[in-house]
Amino acid sequence: MNVTIGLADLIRVSPMIALFISSLIPLTVKVLKKNHEPSPQATLIQGLGGIIAAAVLLLTVYFVLSTGPDSTAFADSIIFDGVTLLSGLIALVAAAFSLMLMYDNPSTRGNQFAELTFLTMSSVLGMLVLSSAMDLVVMFIGLETMSLSLYLMIAMSHEERLSKEAAFKYFVLGGFASAVLLYGLSFIFGSAGTTHLSEIIQKTPELITSSRLFLFGMTLTMLGFCFKVSIFPFQAWTPDVYQGAPTPHSALMATAVKVVSFAAFLRIILSQSFVVSENLFDIFQWLAVLTMIVGNVAAILQNNFKRMLAYSSVAHSGYLLVGLITTGITGEVSFAASGVLFYLLGYSIMTLGAFALVSLLEKSENDSISIESLGGLSKRKPLMAFCLTLFLLSLAGIPPTVGFFGKFYLFSAAISQGLIWLALWGVLNSVISAYYYLRPIVVMYMHEGEEQERPMEASFPTQTVVIISAILVVILGVFSGPLFSVIEGVLS
Amino acid sequence: MLLSSVVFFPALCALLLSLWPVQKLLKSFALFLSLIEFGISLFILSQFDVSTASLQMVEKYPWIERFGINYFLGIDGLSIWLVMLTTFLMPIVILGSWNSIEKKWKGFLACLFVLQTAMIGTFLAIDAIFFYFFWELSLVPMYFIIGIWGGQRRIYATVKFFIYTMLGSVLMLVAMIYMMFLTEQAFGTMSASLLDFYRLNIPFVGGQFFSLQTLLFFAFSLAFAIKVPMFPFHTWLPDAHVEAPTPGSVILAGVMLKMGTYGFLRWVIPLFPEATEYWAWLFIFVAVLGIVYGALVAMVQTDIKKLVAYSSVSHMGYVILGLFSMNSFGFTGGLYQMLNHGVSTGALFLLVGMIYERTHSREISKYGGLANVLPFYSIGFFIVTLSSIAVPLTNGFVGEFLILLGSYASNPVFTYVAVLGVVLGAVYMLWMFKRVFFGPESVLIKEHPLHDLSVREYFVLVPLVVLIFWMGVFPKQFLGFSKTSIDHLVAHRSDYILMVQGQEGKQP
Repeated sequence: MNVTIGLADLIRVSPMIALFISSLIPLTVKVLKKNHEPSPQATLIQGLGGIIAAAVLLLTVYFVLSTGPDSTAFADSIIFDGVTLLSGLIALVAAAFSLMLMYDNPSTRGNQFAELTFLTMSSVLGMLVLSSAMDLVVMFIGLETMSLSLYLMIAMSHEERLSKEAAFKYFVLGGFASAVLLYGLSFIFGSAGTTHLSEIIQKTPELITSSRLFLFGMTLTMLGFCFKVSIFPFQAWTPDVYQGAPTPHSALMATAVKVVSFAAFLRIILSQSFVVSENLFDIFQWLAVLTMIVGNVAAILQNNFKRMLAYSSVAHSGYLLVGLITTGITGEVSFAASGVLFYLLGYSIMTLGAFALVSLLEKSENDSISIESLGGLSKRKPLMAFCLTLFLLSLAGIPPTVGFFGKFYLFSAAISQGLIWLALWGVLNSVISAYYYLRPIVVMYMHEGEEQERPMEASFPTQTVVIISAILVVILGVFSGPLFSVIEGVLS
Repeated sequence: MLLSSVVFFPALCALLLSLWPVQKLLKSFALFLSLIEFGISLFILSQFDVSTASLQMVEKYPWIERFGINYFLGIDGLSIWLVMLTTFLMPIVILGSWNSIEKKWKGFLACLFVLQTAMIGTFLAIDAIFFYFFWELSLVPMYFIIGIWGGQRRIYATVKFFIYTMLGSVLMLVAMIYMMFLTEQAFGTMSASLLDFYRLNIPFVGGQFFSLQTLLFFAFSLAFAIKVPMFPFHTWLPDAHVEAPTPGSVILAGVMLKMGTYGFLRWVIPLFPEATEYWAWLFIFVAVLGIVYGALVAMVQTDIKKLVAYSSVSHMGYVILGLFSMNSFGFTGGLYQMLNHGVSTGALFLLVGMIYERTHSREISKYGGLANVLPFYSIGFFIVTLSSIAVPLTNGFVGEFLILLGSYASNPVFTYVAVLGVVLGAVYMLWMFKRVFFGPESVLIKEHPLHDLSVREYFVLVPLVVLIFWMGVFPKQFLGFSKTSIDHLVAHRSDYILMVQGQEGKQP
């Protein structure tokens, strides 16, 4: 294959180039300073600047250059369509917020902040590649770039025991999942003769019935993604890793990583395998239901706040899988896919807000926040307690928050495709979830005389993240209609 | 603008109060704001056109155009009195809770006003999703009111209340979304408007549970039945009532339970006429069961508040009995009984709250001889008791009489049993009254220095007592507002259509 790289290609990938170059700045500065940690404010500003530049370039590339069908680069292996734009933007915003949390959090701030910033940004680079990949190999490269940076970031924490365990667990299981994914990809390549996704999608309806190997490969690939987005029965790593990792990293994994993984998953699902293969369709429906149930029921039993959020994120993956299945049977980027992306946006904001609050409460690197330790928060920090209440109600799907409208769009799509029973499981699960989302609120507002001394430092960036997220949770909820139309417009 | 202001003025009040800098005048300011709100609703009442069954003062703006969801408010004879009830009870509740709430006044008042927005919004929203928005929103402030200012087991009670109600309403949400897609199939464009839902012809197969109209009917009914609450979904109610602070109980019993019965009247009965007709026996049966069961359980209660809570189950059973009789008397009686229950049970909870403030006990057995010590309080309590057991000249009589009249026309057998509830109602209320107010003075009363009603408490009780007699003697002045709407519902039950005033001629 003769691949020529033109200027147009380079311009299209300019967001990634910008991200890469600006990620090197903090490291270079540190080297020039003879390995003395540069001022963290400067590093934070460099990091945020790089992310903002990438976001601006992403928007420019989409709106200026991508008119018409020619929105691909490098021989169609990278595409700049609506899915790339939206998931990329959500991931960038989530990464920016996480970076602000890292600046404050006791287990990440200090003398390795420059390296952390570099790793975060290279992880985001991987995310952008993953979300824009139209070639299975490129997809794999993106996935690994993203994951490898994350393994390192988690292991770099100042926290002694849990984070090392988390990093190791994440590394081993992540490697295992990558192997499964790669194994699946090899079967797809073997039977379809190409790694290019658009060609595979064309061949799928025919191949999936005629070639067992192709079906096998497709299933393994999807299961690999199921691991990444913690779908039952591949969810077991999630609580351990989210709990053990420093809170900002958990926030990054629960939002940005999940968003782009779902975006890539979406591209695979669009191959219409569900329409052709009844078995696959049935299996994934049950996986969605079981994921919701397992996530929610396990979350009820948790006492550690981060662990509870981890299980809640598993449950939300279940809701999102309902959206993916709906997209899969429509077989086009449409209503259902818009529902998925809107939900990802809403979910990212409320989850980031909740993790930011956990980060705000942590005093030292070995601190663990139990739900009881939220006691009396409404007296000490009424605004923060109110924001957390908003996030939790939104996660439970109570109007007028974005969480309600996210579920509304997701389940409307499912109902429109006749998947009423999945929608029923979804809403019943949100009732179960209300039980554990209410618990922190009970502790914050309704328990008396159990106030714990937890003086909070006035950490400006983290509080900014909390307040911006809280405002967005309400605004995006009440004005979700126009936003949803915009998403749908961008996708179609 | 009128309806928007009556819905969202309380939300604005909540915001204002949470930013109010002075602790001192907080309560007076809140009272003032709630009186303004009552003034707005009185103005709506004065502008209300009784000659039409169409929706009036309609406000309709696109909200989520993609799904045909609108910001859609409208008022008619079915909702006007429920709005009035809400705005009328609010100043009374604030005045009544003057001393009973001890902490966090700001948060309490903010919750109360947000709750008012949610309740009035529920009564006025004519769009399914907009309705659901208010319906779910009402859970949050009530959850906080019970959970923060409630009694000993408040957390158990409030979580139970929240989860129970939410469980009912999510199925309704799925049904609503499904009906939105039905409108798309039927009319080409998706719409969440209730007026378009009314025009749908949903296929009904009698005797088959898994047929479309029956399933939708039960999805909606479950949500409303839990809210009412109908037997056997009533178990959250006694817990919530006993643990809630007095103002919470008053709002809960006075208005929030009516959201359920209003739902039946506005949504279930006109939307699913065949299913309603077919399954009416079930609801009437359960309603009668609730009437008798509630009364019997109330009889054995040792806690006054719990007694009143169970009497609510019994009284709300009458409302359901009236509504599912589906004739003019039944609907009118059901609607009137909603108001009566709001007034008299609200008053009962306030009275129980007053005595609790004095003695810090609600045990019936610890009382006795109150009539000697607190004569005026006892007179007030007695009048409200009479209203609650539906003695002629009080409001309760009109409502229950109309309901029994309506239900006799359609189901004589069930009516015989329901009448039993009237007797049982008199039994538990009067027996309780006897034990608390007559006999020798108990130790508890001797221990506490009791003073009769204060000026503030007169202001709380007198409007309610006046209303009890007013509604009992001149029911026509109230029912006149709802007559056209109810006649329209009775006449067109199987092909119910609601128009917007001024656009009756146009085909939508």
